[in-house]
Amino acid sequence: MRPNFFHHLHPPTIPAKQSRWRYTLGAGGIAVFLSLVLLVTGALEMFYYIPTQAEAAQSIQTISYLVPFGGLVRNLHFWAAQLLLIVVAVHLVRVVFTGAYTPPRRFNYLLGLALFILSILLDFTGYILRWDQGIQWALVVGTNLLKTIPWIGESLYRLLIGGAELGDATLIRFYAWHIVGLILLASILGIWHLFRVRRDGGVALPPPNLRADHERISRFELVRREVLAMIFVSAALLLLAAFVPAPIAPPITELTAISGDVRAPWFFLWVQEMLKWGDPFFWGILVPLFMLVLLAIIPYFFPQPAEHEIGSWFPKSNRLAQIVVAVLASAVLVLTLIE
Amino acid sequence: MDIFSRRDFLKLTNRALLTLSGLLGLGGLLRFLGYQGEEAPATEFDVGLSENYPLNSTTILPDVPAVLEHTAAGFSAMSLTCTHLGCTVEQDGEGYLCPCHGSRYDSDGQVEHGPATEPLPPLKVELEADGELKVSLS
Repeated sequence: MRPNFFHHLHPPTIPAKQSRWRYTLGAGGIAVFLSLVLLVTGALEMFYYIPTQAEAAQSIQTISYLVPFGGLVRNLHFWAAQLLLIVVAVHLVRVVFTGAYTPPRRFNYLLGLALFILSILLDFTGYILRWDQGIQWALVVGTNLLKTIPWIGESLYRLLIGGAELGDATLIRFYAWHIVGLILLASILGIWHLFRVRRDGGVALPPPNLRADHERISRFELVRREVLAMIFVSAALLLLAAFVPAPIAPPITELTAISGDVRAPWFFLWVQEMLKWGDPFFWGILVPLFMLVLLAIIPYFFPQPAEHEIGSWFPKSNRLAQIVVAVLASAVLVLTLIE
Repeated sequence: MDIFSRRDFLKLTNRALLTLSGLLGLGGLLRFLGYQGEEAPATEFDVGLSENYPLNSTTILPDVPAVLEHTAAGFSAMSLTCTHLGCTVEQDGEGYLCPCHGSRYDSDGQVEHGPATEPLPPLKVELEADGELKVSLS
């Protein structure tokens, strides 16, 4: 069989043990596939979406209820975005729990972390584009949170919302970030991340002399597995899109009016819970920032996984990193559930 | 060989200049994004004729948002924007409750429990000559 273009994006062979589902969970590859689904469905939504206060929510109703297959496109976009957040979080946890971030992969770990943050920002800006009563308080709280930062908070707030108060300028800014600014950054870092996976020697595994298992699979087998993953993910997306529609609410009449939905988007519920505890700058900005820094320094300051343990689950040598990530993940999970 | 060679010097200069131009570019970008139009936000609200608010009445003005009180001492208004992170508080028994993070204020706007720490601020109410009431945020 002659390798086609898609085959050529893959190395000729890769180690069998580290290419099993139970090792990679397929998370990185699925994230790439979901990103492509998001690009295509997002591009389609742009043909109908109108980024003005008066028309945004209505244009989304047009896509959802009137445009042929519009509801499907929007639901696919929504579900791919939510799945992407879950999949990239799983990918991060997998990399730490298998010690796959050791040199020369340290820098790529940071690229991955930046992509994780970008996915969250993309999800949040996309959520705001609904500009309906369901997002109103998340927008008010999220932007006011910036104001609590000492010294630069007020300027940062104005920079983000494009003026002194929320309005058309805010919506167009979120739109520009969502469809261009953040996408540009995410594409550059994403391609760099993929390139570094290849450059750093592919999936992490012990050096040859410490390897028990030298078996490898060909790129044809790898591509076969990837296609299988794409089929499963597409089926899951189509099922979700068909039976669980993306949230939608009546248009905002007045940005200060009381509205029914005061809950943050699901991926920020844990922050909303912490904000109830006191000082918004501390709980809403410093604590999440501290968690991020903690994740970022794992490859640099934590005990490193031993060479012979790389490429298998739960190496004894990097227990500390595993515990820290497990504690952070459970804390976020518990806070999300009690909110 | 700890000497600082010409090559090291050029490398360092190169990096410093690249960093500098990067920072200049970033500064330019921030200034570009930071442009503010002339328009000042609406800080005054015409809330209609004073006769619409009889003596000893308390009225919620959702557009401001504020609560307007008419007592023997005259008109007074209090903001209903939570001082914590800016959600609009809802009437809850005698006081006000913020639906977002659960701050509670009494009927005078004093914090009963957090996370808010500042009371709901009073707003200026002006009675114009033609009997129109004006509430201003300041």
